[in-house]
Amino acid sequence: MKVVLPVLGLLAIIGLWWLATIVFGIDAFLVPSPADVVLAFLELPGYLLEQTLVTLWEAVAGFGLSIVVGVPIALLIVSSQVLERMFYPLLVALNAVPKVAIAPLVVVWFGFGIESKVLMVVLVCIFPIVISTASGMKSTPTELVELFRSLDAARHHEFFKLRLRHALPQIFVGLKVSITLAVIGAVIGEFVGASAGLGFVISQSGSSANTSQAFAAMALLAVISVGLFYGLGYAERKLVPWAEEHRTPA
Amino acid sequence: MITLRGVSHRFGGVHALAGIDLEVEEHEFVAVIGRSGCGKSTLLRLVAGLLTPSEGRIVVAGEEVTKPRRDVSVMFQRPALLPWRSVLANVLLPIEIFGLGGHRDRAHELLDLVGLGGFEKRLPHELSGGMQQRVSLCRSLIQSPRVMLMDEPFSALDAITRTELSEELQRIQLELPRAVVFVTHSIDEAVLLADRIVVLSPRPGRIHQIVDVGLPRPRALGQPELDEVSRKLRGLLSEVTA
Repeated sequence: MKVVLPVLGLLAIIGLWWLATIVFGIDAFLVPSPADVVLAFLELPGYLLEQTLVTLWEAVAGFGLSIVVGVPIALLIVSSQVLERMFYPLLVALNAVPKVAIAPLVVVWFGFGIESKVLMVVLVCIFPIVISTASGMKSTPTELVELFRSLDAARHHEFFKLRLRHALPQIFVGLKVSITLAVIGAVIGEFVGASAGLGFVISQSGSSANTSQAFAAMALLAVISVGLFYGLGYAERKLVPWAEEHRTPA
Repeated sequence: MITLRGVSHRFGGVHALAGIDLEVEEHEFVAVIGRSGCGKSTLLRLVAGLLTPSEGRIVVAGEEVTKPRRDVSVMFQRPALLPWRSVLANVLLPIEIFGLGGHRDRAHELLDLVGLGGFEKRLPHELSGGMQQRVSLCRSLIQSPRVMLMDEPFSALDAITRTELSEELQRIQLELPRAVVFVTHSIDEAVLLADRIVVLSPRPGRIHQIVDVGLPRPRALGQPELDEVSRKLRGLLSEVTA
């Protein structure tokens, strides 16, 4: 049932799409039918899969870097009110900057290679990770904090044995938001200036009116996003089996 | 074991406790009762070193209390278990925080003592409220505390579980006696467990009277002698609020 329902939903949408292209007689260069998209993929499967790996790697590397940088930032924010007051507004401001607008600058600074894409991914991913980690750590129940205080626990014990562990379910909420943004960030970077990746394929095939190939690339993007999202969900169930949401269906 | 001399406490403008003088002997079980908001929990937190008194001195085992001590354990109203840790790992938490090793056998013994042998690997959410509070009791005991501070530890439980746990606590106190300060708003619990009962009057909290229970142990709930003390306490509590 868990697999059947989403597959049914997908098949229904593909069926409607196919029907629409036939009933309205839409040209393939405007909206290709599902068959056109599959054919476009089968024309260059090796090339497209290679580009998929490029984008996947950019997204995963950027996502990983966001965790490595974002969690310590959250720790600093929670550990010191001074730091929080100094840097929290800046962080919010950074998040408010439209990433599409700064993408060209990032490419100018970091070049056409993978670095600029990874940085774009970090820019879109890091905010939800910092916020969810910080708010998760702050929402540690008072009685648990008092317990640690009553044991005269060192501050690092309170942070790592208690607050960070307690924040894990909430951190995962942030990670799930971030992982879908990660793929978008990578594609934005590739749009602006790249010589590889699915974003590059889409912008290339768009300008040569190869809509079917653009659709094939988008389908591959969707596969990456869904795969990463559910992979994270799996990790979550393994790592935080105590979290409320695994126990009571909403 | 515990000495309070002229202890007062203020939170901002609120005068929570005033002029508290109290001695608790080694192995003595002292219950503190009073209406909510009379400063019972504040008193406990001061002895625990979680708060610093605005005035007066608190001495535990011959040393002035300036911060929490390892030989003083605190048990809260809620079990305060870490949800990601097994029962056993929760019981061993103080040992881990103190940087000590071992104690696993001791943890198993304590869990057996409260009837939780065989539940070591369970997570807290798999246990009932009463079982969780028993785990919390084991966690307090593993510190081998000279002083146990208990802040309405059974108040969040249903009546039956509550009675069971108070009887169990009596048994444990007979087996492993230590100085206990037990805050409660249940007169029956206080009379069952305590050697002496401190009645606090509210705003600011002052000692209204100290009642010596002076009945032999083990005691049982519903015993006529206990009822007599309960009646006396009820009278005192109504004076206090009038």
